[in-house]
Amino acid sequence: MQATDRTRLRTQAVRRVSIVTTASSDTPAKKILMMGGTRFIGVYLARLLVKAGHEVTLFTRGKTPVTQKIASETDQEYAEYSSKVKHIQGDRQDFDGMKSKIASAGFEIVYDINGREAVEVEPIIDAIPSLKQYIYCSSAGVYLKSDLLPHFEVDATDPKSRHKGKLDTEALLQSKGVPWTSIRPVYIYGPLNYNPVEEWFFHRLKAGRPIPIPNSGLQITQLGHVKDLADAFVRVLDNPTAFGQVYNISGAKYVTFAGIARACAKAGGFPTPELVHYNPKDFDFGKKKSFPLRDQHFFTSIEKAKNDLGWSPKYGLVDGLTDSYNLDFGLGTFRKAADFSTDDMILEKLGIKVAVPA
Amino acid sequence: MALSLQFPVSTPRQASLEISKLTPGYIASSFSLQSPSTSSLHSLGTSSSIAMAVKKSSRRWRAAKTVAMAAAANEVSNRKVLIVNTNSGGHAVIGFWLAKDLVAAGHEVTVMTVGEESSDKMKKPPFSRFSELRDLGVSTVWGDPKDVGAAVGGKSFHAVLDNNGKDLDAVKPVVDWAKSQGVEQFLFISSAGIYKTSDEPPHLEGDPVKADAGHVGVEDYISKLAFKFCSSFRPQYMTGSGNNKDCEEWFFDRIVRDKPVPIPSPGIRVTNIAHVSDLSSMITLAIGKPSASNATIFNAVSDHAVTFDGLVRLCARAAAKEAKIVHYDAKALGIDAKKAFPFRNMHFYAEPRAAKEKLGWTSSINLSEALKERYEEYIKIGRDKKDIKFEIDDTILSKVG
Repeated sequence: MQATDRTRLRTQAVRRVSIVTTASSDTPAKKILMMGGTRFIGVYLARLLVKAGHEVTLFTRGKTPVTQKIASETDQEYAEYSSKVKHIQGDRQDFDGMKSKIASAGFEIVYDINGREAVEVEPIIDAIPSLKQYIYCSSAGVYLKSDLLPHFEVDATDPKSRHKGKLDTEALLQSKGVPWTSIRPVYIYGPLNYNPVEEWFFHRLKAGRPIPIPNSGLQITQLGHVKDLADAFVRVLDNPTAFGQVYNISGAKYVTFAGIARACAKAGGFPTPELVHYNPKDFDFGKKKSFPLRDQHFFTSIEKAKNDLGWSPKYGLVDGLTDSYNLDFGLGTFRKAADFSTDDMILEKLGIKVAVPA
Repeated sequence: MALSLQFPVSTPRQASLEISKLTPGYIASSFSLQSPSTSSLHSLGTSSSIAMAVKKSSRRWRAAKTVAMAAAANEVSNRKVLIVNTNSGGHAVIGFWLAKDLVAAGHEVTVMTVGEESSDKMKKPPFSRFSELRDLGVSTVWGDPKDVGAAVGGKSFHAVLDNNGKDLDAVKPVVDWAKSQGVEQFLFISSAGIYKTSDEPPHLEGDPVKADAGHVGVEDYISKLAFKFCSSFRPQYMTGSGNNKDCEEWFFDRIVRDKPVPIPSPGIRVTNIAHVSDLSSMITLAIGKPSASNATIFNAVSDHAVTFDGLVRLCARAAAKEAKIVHYDAKALGIDAKKAFPFRNMHFYAEPRAAKEKLGWTSSINLSEALKERYEEYIKIGRDKKDIKFEIDDTILSKVG
């Protein structure tokens, strides 16, 4: 190779080096405690961490099997993962019990995927005085409703929100002096989702039913693929840029409610759905939810995470929903059985008949 | 309103400060914070930047290493810039602010307004205030886009911005003239209206556009002409002093007179209202960084969406008054929303991601602040006392009952 070629390639290689610090496979192996890890986010995150060479211990009650093979992995990949990942069985609401189980294990990092209230988090921090980083799964639900959107991390939060516990936890982390990072997802979707987001639409599309949408269907929200979320969680690991920081993590684009219905149809190869609009105020659905998403605009800017972590979502909406369909609903699996009772109430009131498939 | 937890940045962060212009009473900045302990800012030594203490506001804490590096230094200075400016409409105000920003950034500016200096159109803002430009050393001339050379008296320019034409008929003569003169950088004020509607907001640079739109034809033509540098800017709606077209005034007119504000349903439709200073700072950065801005489309918009209802609320807050919103179904009532309401009756929301990523641009003024400023001027010029007829409103309100 010519000297000039070598120089050019070296220069190109240098230029390719990101100026943003990332914590990926270059991070030295850490002893990681994950609260949760057997249902959704943690299923993907724990795999990424184990693959990157970290020692990962899941802390769960054991109600769900510690490991289960997922549709997107080979038998060998599953064997590797299940042989390496560790487990501590316990109830995180039993603070003393939990502390005794996790203290003195030498954990350096905590990924708290399922924490809700600050009181659940404090004992963990107290039990691990040498903790290097507490990484918390919070929620964009903490933002105060606003006429100006998207929500940025610096925006006002709502102390009265349903996610107050998440907010309290972030405040606690700030006060404890341990390096911490908080991730605020919006609506998460992807294979194994136990929150019926895409599943709700897929049930109706499969049944060939019209899709009831509250009000105009122009409400704008944001869906983020769970694998992109897991990637973001990995990037904050041992990353000083992320210490003391909150990050919105979700999709690169937003989407209207009507748009989600159409995107789900594309993902599953269904025909364009009939949308039926109704005013929720005209109905009393009792305790049942007639639609899986909050009836308001709800979306965030992810630019901080992009700038700080060099992260960006790999899945566009239709791609991501297709991934979810192909690896979950499309294989015949789902978490909640179809329940069209609120749909029927709506359709009846609007005088719309549903064609029953033969 | 219950107060909420603000998130202080607790770690020291790298920072750089760039103030790209300095006009009395007006500061725009593209910056990130240095160490909180010192909370001091340092200048970057570009020909246009000055170190200043800037009041920290929570909105401006969007520090990022990449942004800092992008904003770090202009590539060029002391450029000769020609702005070919429209003589009316919503975009007219861009040239006015841009001229001032460019001068503050150390460039030499000529504004060529289309038409004649003696025309009645020149009695309206911003043209009525062009003495402010001349006081800053801007050369103001008038002429025909078909003969720019005559208007500018054979002057040569590094950069030419067309803020006039909506289609190739209007802009081609300017583009061709610039090319023949060896102009290095051609910039075009296009429109975010060319984006195809989508289920997935926001409109982002690179998203599909309506092929038959006049602005698209212009953008394509410019990009094929092999200027050394070229950029296109796609604005939405603007507010700001010197505006030639009503924007928020439509709302103030009703709020200040205690009239209900008719909003076409659903009031949750979103739009984007930028303060023109955010556009002028963006274009100024592009002119100072021709390589960074080259061959790039920029959404020239604010970085927030606002709903129609939300805009009423923000205007009411700016006026310290209550506002009553009356929603109406334009279609059902046979109302032409184009005449009844000042903004497109649909979601129309673009985001300025290219500007942030490539130029290190940040928004310096949010809509709440902008509207307060605009309301003060609205009152100062006595528009609240103006006798206005609300014929279409009255029709709507009578139909809604």
